[in-house]
Amino acid sequence: MAMKTEAIGSIIKAQFERMLSAGCSFADARFYDEDRYQRVVLYDGNLESNTSRYERGIGVRVLKDGAWGFAATANLEAIPACFDRALANARAAAQLLGFQKDMGPAQTIKGRYRPPVERDPFEVPLAEKLEFLKGIDTRLQDKTVAHRYVGATFQRRRVNYQNSEGTEVDKWVLNTFGNMMVMTPDKQGRTQRRSLELYGKGTGTRGYEWLTDPDWFSGHAERIKQELAQIVAAEPLPPGKRDVILLPGQGFLQVHETIGHALELDRILGYELSYAGGSHVRPEMIGKLRYGSEKLNCRSGVTDNSPGTFGYDDEGSAQRDYMLIDKGILVGVLSCRADLAEANAKAGRTIVKQSGTATRACSFYRSPIDRMTNINIDPGNDGTLEDIIKATKDGVILDVPVSWSIGSNREHFHFGCEIAWEVKDGKRTKVYKNPTYQGHTLEFWGSLDMVGDQSTWELRQVPNCGKGEPNQVMELGHGIPVMRFRSVQTGEKE
Amino acid sequence: MLESRIRDLLLAARNSARKKGINAELSLHREKSSLIRLGNSSVALSTFEELTRLGVSVQDGRKVGSFSLTADITSQEQLQSALAQAHENCKAALPKNYDPIFGTVEEAVDDSTGYDPALENLAPEAKTKLCAGVVKALKPKGSYDFSGSWSSGSAEMYYISTANDNEAYRRLTDSRFVMVLKEQNRKWELSVERTAKRTGTFTAEDVAAEFAALLPMYEKNEGFKTDIGRQRVMFGPQAIAELVMLAIWGGFFGRWFEEKRAYTSSMKSGDKLFSEAVTITDDPTHPDVFGMPFDFNGKIRRSFSLVEKGIFRGVLYDSLTAARYKRQPTGHDLENWDIVLATGDGPAGIESGRKLAADALYIPHLHYIHLPDPTKGMFTCSSRFNAMRLEKGEFTAPLFSTRVTDTSPNVFSNVVAIAPDSVTVNVSSTYGQREPTAMSVPEYLVCDNVRITDVADSF
Repeated sequence: MAMKTEAIGSIIKAQFERMLSAGCSFADARFYDEDRYQRVVLYDGNLESNTSRYERGIGVRVLKDGAWGFAATANLEAIPACFDRALANARAAAQLLGFQKDMGPAQTIKGRYRPPVERDPFEVPLAEKLEFLKGIDTRLQDKTVAHRYVGATFQRRRVNYQNSEGTEVDKWVLNTFGNMMVMTPDKQGRTQRRSLELYGKGTGTRGYEWLTDPDWFSGHAERIKQELAQIVAAEPLPPGKRDVILLPGQGFLQVHETIGHALELDRILGYELSYAGGSHVRPEMIGKLRYGSEKLNCRSGVTDNSPGTFGYDDEGSAQRDYMLIDKGILVGVLSCRADLAEANAKAGRTIVKQSGTATRACSFYRSPIDRMTNINIDPGNDGTLEDIIKATKDGVILDVPVSWSIGSNREHFHFGCEIAWEVKDGKRTKVYKNPTYQGHTLEFWGSLDMVGDQSTWELRQVPNCGKGEPNQVMELGHGIPVMRFRSVQTGEKE
Repeated sequence: MLESRIRDLLLAARNSARKKGINAELSLHREKSSLIRLGNSSVALSTFEELTRLGVSVQDGRKVGSFSLTADITSQEQLQSALAQAHENCKAALPKNYDPIFGTVEEAVDDSTGYDPALENLAPEAKTKLCAGVVKALKPKGSYDFSGSWSSGSAEMYYISTANDNEAYRRLTDSRFVMVLKEQNRKWELSVERTAKRTGTFTAEDVAAEFAALLPMYEKNEGFKTDIGRQRVMFGPQAIAELVMLAIWGGFFGRWFEEKRAYTSSMKSGDKLFSEAVTITDDPTHPDVFGMPFDFNGKIRRSFSLVEKGIFRGVLYDSLTAARYKRQPTGHDLENWDIVLATGDGPAGIESGRKLAADALYIPHLHYIHLPDPTKGMFTCSSRFNAMRLEKGEFTAPLFSTRVTDTSPNVFSNVVAIAPDSVTVNVSSTYGQREPTAMSVPEYLVCDNVRITDVADSF
């Protein structure tokens, strides 16, 4: 007999009392009443993934003598033991401690969050989903296409968050992802591809209805098929320095890897060094560092419809909208409450006044860490994509990542894309294949000289950002306009 | 064997499915995982997770559906519910245009040889104490911060199907220790790693001594910005493990091979692929790896040759790819392979290896490796911890972050020397469940004509 949610809430509250009595300064618990996942994939028309998953359990943290202990269990009869284990872990951690963590001023929040949804994907019959995907697969079929891929992923989490300060948040997470791809070899035998992931404008709702809206997914099937044919017939991008125009389908990755990760405070403070890496940013640079040109305005945004919008983070803080980079100057970082004091002490001044409300965990059995939210670039005033093309004498337009490799401190990068369009004297002239570009982060963002207007701004979903030990995969969003960068190293010399 | 309380439930569920005429595969994964995470010379987080995951897959002709559950498994009701959900997914599925291979446990397996209860229950206090010993030994000598992680625990894997009465069970423990020392002003980073199957295989003194041996080069010398172009590179164990995995991803997956997306797609068994010094196997019987004895299609895993003395031998087929392309599955329905790059006849030890390498770059760790073009085996990545310049066989300067963009065939065809001694590298991912995975690689690998494509001004 599954234990009732209300009963679990009462047990958790009793444990907070016990932990505070044991000398803890803070404790919290995330009870996942339900964590559901479904993935369906058609590959060349064959249903190759047809799986669903259900998880239920609790993850608890306690802060004792400035050190964190975490424990998780799916055995809901063993919640007191889970708290005991977290306490024992905190005690052990406290034996080697440099800077004592603290949560700062206490806050008590009562909150509820529901994502905007018209049709819950988990209420849609599997057969209907498969019929929809099969329809897209049929449209992707062509004698010029060697392999086709179309899939959808759905997530629904019902999370109850409580902490020892009296905060209680009832939060649902609901995500809908879709992707399609066509592949075929070129004359040299290299497999070329063109793909599309479900995207939007950051508005509307995020249920099954988003996936079936042709504007954001299925309506692009013919286009990607046609563009694949153009790529296969194209020459490789010749190496050289030229202007680069990133469409949102590529710009999101540029932002993700060279701004988002670099501005996660746990990376800046050195907590990710042995796995994901550090950051070229040091705490004392916040408020001073010129990260890019004056055209660069980047925020941690609360976008209506995005996987990076979650209402409250996993410390119970209400998600805030704030600038990270303002007219090119670094002004903010992605953070949680517990790291602020350490960051300010390291900088020797107050560089972060309040939590970046960015701490999240991917499941009940992982501890919250600093994660990207919606790391958005504000639209600029340089017009439409066509306006930017007209203003470009020698450049390429790039779209959709194929490969990405970044230095451990996010200071340099090498990206490969699916497609490039040459721009000569203000006109889009021809397609190139195998485009790559590389650069150094600050120099690259310093070369940003045109930012498209709202018409170019798109919300791109990231379903699989990896970070943390134990490893975690998190979903988030990037709202990105078209951006132009000057004199970038493109193509491969060999 | 699996705890009888859960085993009995699973066997009853299997028998129940059989009676109903349902073709079902059931797998169970149980883990006890603990980890301490170091940051700023502190234990920033200490974690413990005790989790049970049930997987059910149902096949009806060419239809397949599956369901998984992460929860405490206590009742037959839970199992029947999971079975029903997988069955529903199967019923709604679209039929494949080929006959999928239904899982069958070839032989009964009951293997706990890799299990050490002491490692399963290694207390966070013991980990903290060892890390504190390293910090104490080195911290007073500079403005250093230590980061890192130490993961340890146990995993149990159990697999049965309605095809027969055989059961496959595996229980093992593993540990991965990584400590990173960062100098705060110049921002260089050094790393020491240890992989273990049992407790007591390393001490704070060992770790501190390894850091101490690396430190003078970084403390006394400015970073070296190497030239872009082709150079001789001496790779260390973690980098070799990454390079071998890249070579396998790009060239040895059955799916990519069949679809002409692998750099080996035009080859047949017996063709020359790499230098004759290169032999790569997936060998669960090798003593240095964790050794997974079965896969989750029920195949008994045996030593499988990918490259033998530079000759291409064969690619890996999971059951899905094998079914689709009418091949035989090779025991690769799982994440945790047991890859071994054979040792060579180079001189023993890093010191002798570097004398042989003479003028070269020493790159023991790679970061963020990716495959821009699998059809050529092209990869790109950057150097990371402990990288140094070699001149006349001596380390002369630490290396600034250096990008390597090359192809697997080029790197493994230009082998100058391979060390005679091996190192076990724990390459486990903990993104999903605990899947202990280790590779056995030589202590060093020296290659000529490795393509350097970018160099940063920093470490």
